[in-house]
Amino acid sequence: MPIKVDYVVRETTSNLGRNITITLASIITVAVSLALVGASLMLRTGVENATARWQGGIEFVVFLRPDATQAQIDSVKNALESSPEVDGYEFVNKEAAYAEFKNLFADSPELVDSLTAEDLPPSFRVEPVNKEVDAVDSLGSQFTKSPGVKQVVFASKTIRLIQQLSSRLTVGIFVVAAFLLAAAGLLILNTIRMAMFARRREIEVMKLVGATNWFIRVPFMVEGLVQGLVGALLAIVALAAFKPFFQKWLPNPEDIPLVSGFTVGGGETAFIFITLGIVGILIGAIGAGVAVSRFLDV
Amino acid sequence: MITLENVTKTYKNSTIALRGANVEIAKGEFVFLVGASGSGKSTFIRLLNKSETPDEGHIYVAGKDIGQLSNWKVPFLRRNIGCVFQDFKLLPTKTVSENVAFALEVIGRPRSVIDAQVPAILDLVGLSHKAESFPDELSGGEQQRVSVARAFVNRPLILLADEPTGNLDPATSVGIMRLLDRINKTGTTVVMATHDRGIVDTMRRRVIELDRGSIVRDQARGVYE
Repeated sequence: MPIKVDYVVRETTSNLGRNITITLASIITVAVSLALVGASLMLRTGVENATARWQGGIEFVVFLRPDATQAQIDSVKNALESSPEVDGYEFVNKEAAYAEFKNLFADSPELVDSLTAEDLPPSFRVEPVNKEVDAVDSLGSQFTKSPGVKQVVFASKTIRLIQQLSSRLTVGIFVVAAFLLAAAGLLILNTIRMAMFARRREIEVMKLVGATNWFIRVPFMVEGLVQGLVGALLAIVALAAFKPFFQKWLPNPEDIPLVSGFTVGGGETAFIFITLGIVGILIGAIGAGVAVSRFLDV
Repeated sequence: MITLENVTKTYKNSTIALRGANVEIAKGEFVFLVGASGSGKSTFIRLLNKSETPDEGHIYVAGKDIGQLSNWKVPFLRRNIGCVFQDFKLLPTKTVSENVAFALEVIGRPRSVIDAQVPAILDLVGLSHKAESFPDELSGGEQQRVSVARAFVNRPLILLADEPTGNLDPATSVGIMRLLDRINKTGTTVVMATHDRGIVDTMRRRVIELDRGSIVRDQARGVYE
């Protein structure tokens, strides 16, 4: 039997209105926990973007001149290859550098348009065997005078600190958010349980006259979904409004050898927001599902 | 229409509510279930619309073994069985006509059908003039009429009534019994559990007497005892 949309809408709105205070409590809890999750995801993405070239043990980067010849590139490559102190290296050619640049500055197309792949320096990202500051310094300095090399840039302590801080902060926030999300799920469960208690007479009559189980369940399920979704939407709106401030607060990229500021790209933001929406809906569905299967004896 | 074969129902506290009951009720019959409190009358009624399931035996309603009915089909069984209770079970926030319409609405009947059938059934139970009243503005007898209207608005094959006159004075009870009799005359099978000696003795219909879960008497055109 098809369940009429207008019936579900009417029942759900009246359920939500009946328990307005506890409904708001669950929505706010969902919103706060998802905003925390979203903020930590954005922080992590920002740090990853800002320190993109320093991931995976890379300690210094040898930038070549944009006009370096293939022979010059090969000689640096051979030097890296033969050095026993180099654990590994990665060559980033002009095209790859340009692709990374485009990705990081997707929000400022005028900047992207002003440059082509030809303007960007190719580089070697080097992971030394010994990661002590002095050893890294002396190894890297060997390349500063090689032909075709423009500059050698070292990961500073600041970068390691930022990476460490961000990963610990992310874990911490996730733990808090997980507890809050569990609380939100339980609140939704209870809201729906109360809604079912408030409507127990209706439910009894519905069972007696032969309403199908799904007909009885669906308005309550939708109620849980709406709470989760509204909470997620609030979190998304808050994060979207907060994003520009968030990026201003963080350290200025010119003070430390970062790739860019702590930007979070449009695509990355959309991905985070969609994740929050899905998590919100899931929390609502799980809370409602448990309530409906445990307390609605149909 | 209704067949019980060797039906036994025991509750968790090991009270035996029904013991080896064998009953055959034909289409269009009017049956009184009588017996003291706790004799198993309500259990008998609740078994018929699968509000309870028997521990042993088979129950057939309209030719189908309802023990074999999967859970999701139970609602469709109940659409063929109207129920009336001692406490009316009306929704206090809905008017008389909304209460009756609710029964059709929740089984997905279209608005046009609801708009046609609700006034017709209110006319049948004599409450057209109270259509917009709320249950607490009605007398007990009127409330029970609404409850009968709701049970019958979908034209079920069977009407189950559990002490429908239990809360009503004798004069009002007579009105309800006239109504049930009329419904029975349309071909609907009526099974009614009651304590009301006067009603049973006046109506002179089939009487099934239960005593501590056992059927001790099954008499056509019977009396209370």
